[in-house]
Amino acid sequence: MKKLLSVIFVLCICACGLLMPVPDWKDKAGGYLEEYKSSFLKGKELSTEPHFAQATREIAAGNDLRLLAVAYLTKYALHTASLECFDDSEFLKIERLEPDAEDMAYYRFLQGNFTAVDASALPARYTGLLKAAASRNAVLAAHEISAIGDPLSRLVAAGVWVNHLPCDEKIIQTAIDTASANGWQRPLWAYLEKLHTCYLEGGDKSRARAIKNRLELLKKEKDQK
Amino acid sequence: MTMSREYKVGLFIGATALIIITALFYLAFSKGVFERIHTFTLSSKSGEGFTEGMPVVFSGFNIGNVHALELNDEGVVLIDIKIPDRHVKWIRSDSSFVLYRPLIGSARIIVNTENLKSPSLDPHKMPEVLTVNDINDAIAKIEPVLDRVTEIAENIRVLTRNLSDPKGDFHRVLGNAEKITSNFASKKSLVEMAVSDKESVKAIKESLKKLKDITSNIDRVLVKIDKMADKTDREIYGENGALPQINTILKDLVIKLTKLDKTVDNINSISTDASEGMKDLHILRSDIDDAVKSIDDVAKKLDAIIGSKKAPEFRVP
Repeated sequence: MKKLLSVIFVLCICACGLLMPVPDWKDKAGGYLEEYKSSFLKGKELSTEPHFAQATREIAAGNDLRLLAVAYLTKYALHTASLECFDDSEFLKIERLEPDAEDMAYYRFLQGNFTAVDASALPARYTGLLKAAASRNAVLAAHEISAIGDPLSRLVAAGVWVNHLPCDEKIIQTAIDTASANGWQRPLWAYLEKLHTCYLEGGDKSRARAIKNRLELLKKEKDQK
Repeated sequence: MTMSREYKVGLFIGATALIIITALFYLAFSKGVFERIHTFTLSSKSGEGFTEGMPVVFSGFNIGNVHALELNDEGVVLIDIKIPDRHVKWIRSDSSFVLYRPLIGSARIIVNTENLKSPSLDPHKMPEVLTVNDINDAIAKIEPVLDRVTEIAENIRVLTRNLSDPKGDFHRVLGNAEKITSNFASKKSLVEMAVSDKESVKAIKESLKKLKDITSNIDRVLVKIDKMADKTDREIYGENGALPQINTILKDLVIKLTKLDKTVDNINSISTDASEGMKDLHILRSDIDDAVKSIDDVAKKLDAIIGSKKAPEFRVP
């Protein structure tokens, strides 16, 4: 029995040695992209773009256009999650050189071009929202968004809805809760602003003022730092 | 064949006589004894200067001589000249004859022929002889000089007469000079001598007195200015004057500048230290980079050994 255990241990060690080593550029690019996401969502504007530039530089060193497209789509998704516009020129250049159905579906989804989105190529977590968007069902959409497990994906879905479809308080509140729970200042302020606008448009001035005061207080605290 | 003594003597005498005759004949021939002589007759209004045997010259060469002088019925002097045949070619119809009487040397007749191709002079013609007289020319030139010398002598005579005349100009000038020297010797002022007017001299004296007063006034003013200068000196250079104060300020400024110099030196040393520190920072940075890289390498090796590290996942959010 002892002999068998020792043989298994040796085989495990050998198996470990047989694992394919991760390329250095890929490892660094992954790290920089994660840093970019974190600094973007937390509102660290100074360190945001340098991290993204370093990530794309490392990916470019690996000559992988698919990963480069994913990096740019990640950037666009973060802007969508924070209710901001984005410049899609770089992604379109890559797509012309090396078209990919999944990337194009995700890009169209972010742009709010729901009818052109290939549902089968879109990540599964967004298919429910795609259906709700097609029927412009806000209740269903709120439900689908709440059902998304990944908080960033949840914010992206909320951003897509808020950017391109009628304002829904529940969806915005979900996004605010998600951002607050993760300490993501940039989308939090964006959704609070949007909620304030919604209340103003709905004629609920007192709640709008309360949201505005809350936002001003938060910004003031940030400025004091 | 033998010759007799008499025959030999007779032959010697005959040969000697023949040689002598031949020599004489040759000498006579070479001297032109047998040469043909051409005679020409020249005319002149005066026979002065002409002499028999006078040479006839062409281009400085003697080509003949005057053979005879005679006076014709009309009172014209006829001069016969003889020219040997070898020289007759120089005597032409257009030849001119000049009696040249130099100041020094003997007189001669000079033949001038312009065109040697012109026909020979007809022996019956009597060309006139012109006269060139150097003595007369010299006298003619000396005459005006002698006149000038005479004038000078006359002027000298006039001058000496004037000098010797007691009422003459020279004596008057001497008299005036004597008066001037006597004036200089007298006690009269120079101004009086110059102006020759006593009133003017008085006016000048008064002006000089006033000038003296003015100078005394100027002296007083200068004394006042001196006092003012002293006062100014005191104000500027005195104990409480401006200059000592400025000196004090400058000394203070120098002390402060010295202190400032030290401060600047300190700042310089600080900046040098800082720059050296910056160099150290670069070294430190590279050391940190090396350390990070080493740690990174160690982490990678550990990852490789343990195999726990997963490949990064690239997917859209």
